[in-house]
Amino acid sequence: MPKQLLQGNHAIALAAEAAGLKFFAGYPITPASEIIHELVNKRHIKVLQMEDEIASINAVIGASLAGLKAMTATSGPGFSLMQESIGLAHMMEVPLVIVNVQRVGPSTGMPTLPAQGDIIQCIHGSHGDYFPIVFYPNSVLELYTYTVMAFNAAEESLSPVILLSDGYISHLYETIYPHRDFNIKRRNQKPIGTSNRHFTGLSHEDSVIKTTDTENHRRFIRRLYEKQQLTARHYKFHEYLECSKETDALLISYGALSRIAYYFKDKYSLYRPIRMFPIVEEIKSIAPRYKRIIVMEMNAGQYVHEIERVLRREVEFVSVIGGRMDLQEIKEKIYG
Amino acid sequence: MDRDTNFKRYLKLELLPTPWCPGCGNGIVLKTVCQAFDEIDMPKNGTVVISGIGCAGRSAGFFDLDTVHTAHGRAIPVAEGIKYANESLNVVVLSGDGDLLSIGGNHLLHAIRRNTNITVVCYANETYGMTGGQVSPTTPYGTKTLTTPDGNKDTPADVQYFFKNRNCFFARTTAYHLNHMKKCIVEALKFNGFSFVEVRTMCIVNYGRRLGYKNSNEILLHYKEFYKVNDNTVELAQNEIGILKYTSSPDAEVIL
Repeated sequence: MPKQLLQGNHAIALAAEAAGLKFFAGYPITPASEIIHELVNKRHIKVLQMEDEIASINAVIGASLAGLKAMTATSGPGFSLMQESIGLAHMMEVPLVIVNVQRVGPSTGMPTLPAQGDIIQCIHGSHGDYFPIVFYPNSVLELYTYTVMAFNAAEESLSPVILLSDGYISHLYETIYPHRDFNIKRRNQKPIGTSNRHFTGLSHEDSVIKTTDTENHRRFIRRLYEKQQLTARHYKFHEYLECSKETDALLISYGALSRIAYYFKDKYSLYRPIRMFPIVEEIKSIAPRYKRIIVMEMNAGQYVHEIERVLRREVEFVSVIGGRMDLQEIKEKIYG
Repeated sequence: MDRDTNFKRYLKLELLPTPWCPGCGNGIVLKTVCQAFDEIDMPKNGTVVISGIGCAGRSAGFFDLDTVHTAHGRAIPVAEGIKYANESLNVVVLSGDGDLLSIGGNHLLHAIRRNTNITVVCYANETYGMTGGQVSPTTPYGTKTLTTPDGNKDTPADVQYFFKNRNCFFARTTAYHLNHMKKCIVEALKFNGFSFVEVRTMCIVNYGRRLGYKNSNEILLHYKEFYKVNDNTVELAQNEIGILKYTSSPDAEVIL
């Protein structure tokens, strides 16, 4: 395939096709709609526009059970609607990919502008304990690459994997080479309709419902946790740029905002998680080299608490509430 | 094998008894669905049963097939996802009126609009039995329940009208009329397009006894007295059960 000038959302669609996507269900929403626009023209991919995001995620669960690689794409408001069924997919161990192109919230907010307000919702949005794998690229090429990785991680962990983007990255045009040199993971589970399994959101063991067996449920949650940690080991994606000059500060940022962080590379060392969750362990060995840790994100403080929790030390925080990304304003905030 | 017990091959008998209360109508519907499966010799490989949440939502787990127990109200979209992903599967949804008509009502309307080739059997017992007996979409006007101590002020959903001018299948039947119920379900399973069977069934423990019924047999006798079979109509009266004749244009498209 030749080099192509691609929009972020188009790159997601192309990559999903390369990863073996066969079923897509979604509901129109800014700034994610271009993904369905692109996929609907692919003959061998079944695309459904459902009545809402709840129906979309559930149709995707059904299609995945039927053996197809399946995906949905949405933005914050739709992602909120999907939460209950994301928990269901973790409980039933159904592999699928959810793309969340973040926009400014809460509520309808500013639909066309980028934000990073859904970080904690990714891991705690549904009730109960579950341990999703979450990727957040910061360029069109990375959207392409990590969409494929998201499908692989989903197949490997038999769980829903979340690919975060934002209104900025997804609407960005960049020239990329959409190669297909990937190792694509195949489904290693029989499709529905071939056996006598019972897939249920109730606590269960081997297709048998166990609604009051606490020990069984604790074993189940433990197994989910270990399975996700094990899978995550194969997807340790992060970027660490050591400052060429002497510095005592590490600037942590991700997604759209991390592109502005590159401006500060002569003053600070930069760290960018790409696999947002489970948090990449490498940060634990990098952080002790710096006196100051600064987390910068487009919300009122979400990932910063996760970093604090992992590092067990005080972390400085620069908040750029979603919407405009202005270098001058960010400079003032960082330099104080 | 004796024809009468042949339907048991569709069940995981080792999981019995069901969690349902004595006198519950769900077991009758479950058995009749299996008998309907048996009558048309539904292949065990290639048939899936989906259900939602609630008493009726527990039905799917008893089938000796691949089955899915979805989130509350989401049985239909999951079933549609399965059907669109693999057209060769027979997809059957079993769930309650609260699940299908209330929390999942929007999905039902759109499944009718899409005319997805799946079969839905609705256990319409006029109440939310599992949560103690609250008012549900099929509770008659004026009925006292836990959440309507002064009587239900809303009119119940008459599902047949969702199907008006649609090229879909709709039937109403009751847990008393066993042969009629089996016939309705068989016809629904054979139908090429979206099919829906509303089964009026009883909840004695959390609903009927509060209305003065001494046991579920009294409710069944009420069905016997009240409902008349009318299989040749485009609109069912309140006291009629039957299969609706189509009212839509025959060229309406059936998907899959």
